[in-house]
Amino acid sequence: MQLNKHRNIASALAMASCSLVGQQAQAVTPDSTLDDWKIDAALMYYGEQDRVQAIEAIGNVQKSFGDTSLLDMKLVVDSLTGASASGAVAQNSSQTFTRPSGNGEYTIAAGDTPLDDTFHDTRVQASANWSETLTPQWKVNGGLYGSKEFDYMSMGLNGGVERSFNKDNTTLSLSGSYTYDVVDPVGGRPVAFSAMALRKDYDTEAQFKAAFDQTRLDGSDDKSTADIMLSVTQVLSRRWLFQANYGLSSVSGYMNDPYKILSQVDDTGTSQNYLYESRPDTRLKHSFYMMTKGALDSGVVDLSYRYSTDDWDIQSHTLETHYRYYFSGNFYGQVHLRYYQQQGADFYRPFLVAGEPLPEYASADYRIGDMNAYTLGIKFGQRLAGGHEMSYRLEYYQQNPENNGTQLFGQLQNYDLFPQVKAIVAQFSYSF
Amino acid sequence: MASPCELLIASFDKVIASEILAVAVKEARRIEAKYSRFITHNPLWQINNSDTNPVAIDEETYRLLTFAQQCFELSDGRFDITAGPLMQLWRFEDGNQAKLPDNGAIQAAKALVDFSAVTFSTSTMVMPTKMNLDLGGIAKEYAVDSAANLIANRWPTVSVLVNFGGDIACPVARDNQNPPWQVGIENPDDLDKASAVLQIRQGALATSGDTRRFIERDGKRYGHIIDPNTGFPVEHAPRSVTVLAQNCVMAGMLSTMAMLEGSNAESFLNAQGVYFKVYR
Repeated sequence: MQLNKHRNIASALAMASCSLVGQQAQAVTPDSTLDDWKIDAALMYYGEQDRVQAIEAIGNVQKSFGDTSLLDMKLVVDSLTGASASGAVAQNSSQTFTRPSGNGEYTIAAGDTPLDDTFHDTRVQASANWSETLTPQWKVNGGLYGSKEFDYMSMGLNGGVERSFNKDNTTLSLSGSYTYDVVDPVGGRPVAFSAMALRKDYDTEAQFKAAFDQTRLDGSDDKSTADIMLSVTQVLSRRWLFQANYGLSSVSGYMNDPYKILSQVDDTGTSQNYLYESRPDTRLKHSFYMMTKGALDSGVVDLSYRYSTDDWDIQSHTLETHYRYYFSGNFYGQVHLRYYQQQGADFYRPFLVAGEPLPEYASADYRIGDMNAYTLGIKFGQRLAGGHEMSYRLEYYQQNPENNGTQLFGQLQNYDLFPQVKAIVAQFSYSF
Repeated sequence: MASPCELLIASFDKVIASEILAVAVKEARRIEAKYSRFITHNPLWQINNSDTNPVAIDEETYRLLTFAQQCFELSDGRFDITAGPLMQLWRFEDGNQAKLPDNGAIQAAKALVDFSAVTFSTSTMVMPTKMNLDLGGIAKEYAVDSAANLIANRWPTVSVLVNFGGDIACPVARDNQNPPWQVGIENPDDLDKASAVLQIRQGALATSGDTRRFIERDGKRYGHIIDPNTGFPVEHAPRSVTVLAQNCVMAGMLSTMAMLEGSNAESFLNAQGVYFKVYR
């Protein structure tokens, strides 16, 4: 055994060296063993006025292995309740709808925007990512993702490679991901453009049930998404950097929202039927992103712009900025502004007109219609002893859906078919 | 010191930073002027040319000799600052043009190497004729510690990382509010590239190795760490050894001694209870 041969001379050498350099001996610990765990925990509340409310708990654990490997694991649990717009238009008399499960119905008062209040779900998401620095120039990463909620399951994997040039001043990265989702809607998948079966139209529950089943397909359906992104980051100066991305995303499979419907109205604007929506089963999306970020004397600022376009004809522009100001070394305040503008999908229809031929695809989901939205946010963060950090975030979000040029007639002119959605987000985070 | 030197200073104050820099430059130049064997008529030259006559030494030289003596004893004679005559036979700076010294010359030089033959007191030293001191194995690390300590004494709250050609000291701890200093360790297979990054808040690092100074002949690589007992480069020595310790002379000595251990470098370092990185 070689080990026995060696005596410990380190302490004798320590004393000898201290008398040479005249310095007290101090304990030294390689820092990497102390600081290789990082845990973030956050609690977030998202609430839309009179609509969806969500509470989300987020846990993130990072662990570094040596100097080159990093494992990042994230767990998110959220609980959603509340109502969301079904897509049907407001009317001057009350409207009764069949619940998505086919069991029961709900009634919307005259003049109100029809909201489906059955929305209630708990979602669990977990992801793990590994990144590995192969050489000072090359980095690779890979990860897995999974999420599950009552009627939806998603699984994905991703990977990327990063290469730095120019003494690390330029970084090129290429990443890709593949996601496979399974949709299993409550009550089955609606047959596209079938009319919602309503109890009042049938004499018996059995007749209604038979009619309802006619509008439904058994079993689940799936969707797969492949994404690829090319990114370049350039350090411009000691204080500024610039990043540009191009992303391509291809989705195929079931993309209908099984809980969204369209009102089919007559020439007085009165609803005759509620039809289940129909969307294409492929979507190809391109996005371009540019961001610049700078370190100021007492803060950090970033400014970004994103343009996205797809073959559903949805085009969007996003302008976003964050400005962080350090009141002291340990306390900062941050302002967040975001403006979003979207041109809706070519098959977006606020409603359909009875007697006119059905289009190939149609959806009244305001989220794929014309709209603009803005976010105003503030955040405060405080660094505590021992490297812990606490932060609070409060944001106001407002979505302003717009008419895409559809002519309103009859009683439809009396109602706001494009109501605003207002929401607040509050988040408390702690990292240690 | 024939190598790039740099200081990393955790301060936004330009005045303080330039004062710190000036202190470091002055101290490095002072030590180089005093102990470089490439400068004639400096204190080291006086010693090497004393020819058995007693020569006056100052307190600093006494401390360096005392440390060298302790290292000589702790390494069982393997670390010897009188190995100058042997070192001169191995012309590593000539690279692949270098001639391997012949055995006779090595044996003759070996006879001149023996630190135990040197006698010294706080104010004088006596050295046998033709014997030669080479402080190359200590002086750079000593300059790092000395400059770092001068800075730490004058600016006790500013964390500074002193790096003289890869020998590094950081006596004032970098606080937890800031990321630790990141120190890359050179990859012997790809010089000027870091193969590992160490994070230090306080302490010192030194690296020994044959990555830059070696002779290759008939497929055999002769590293520049010479074992005074054999007169030849140590066999099976690692390509490089990096040690983290409380000061740079200690780190430097442990890394050199590990190289001198040859194939036992890792077990030697394990026995020392220090953090280290070895490339083979």
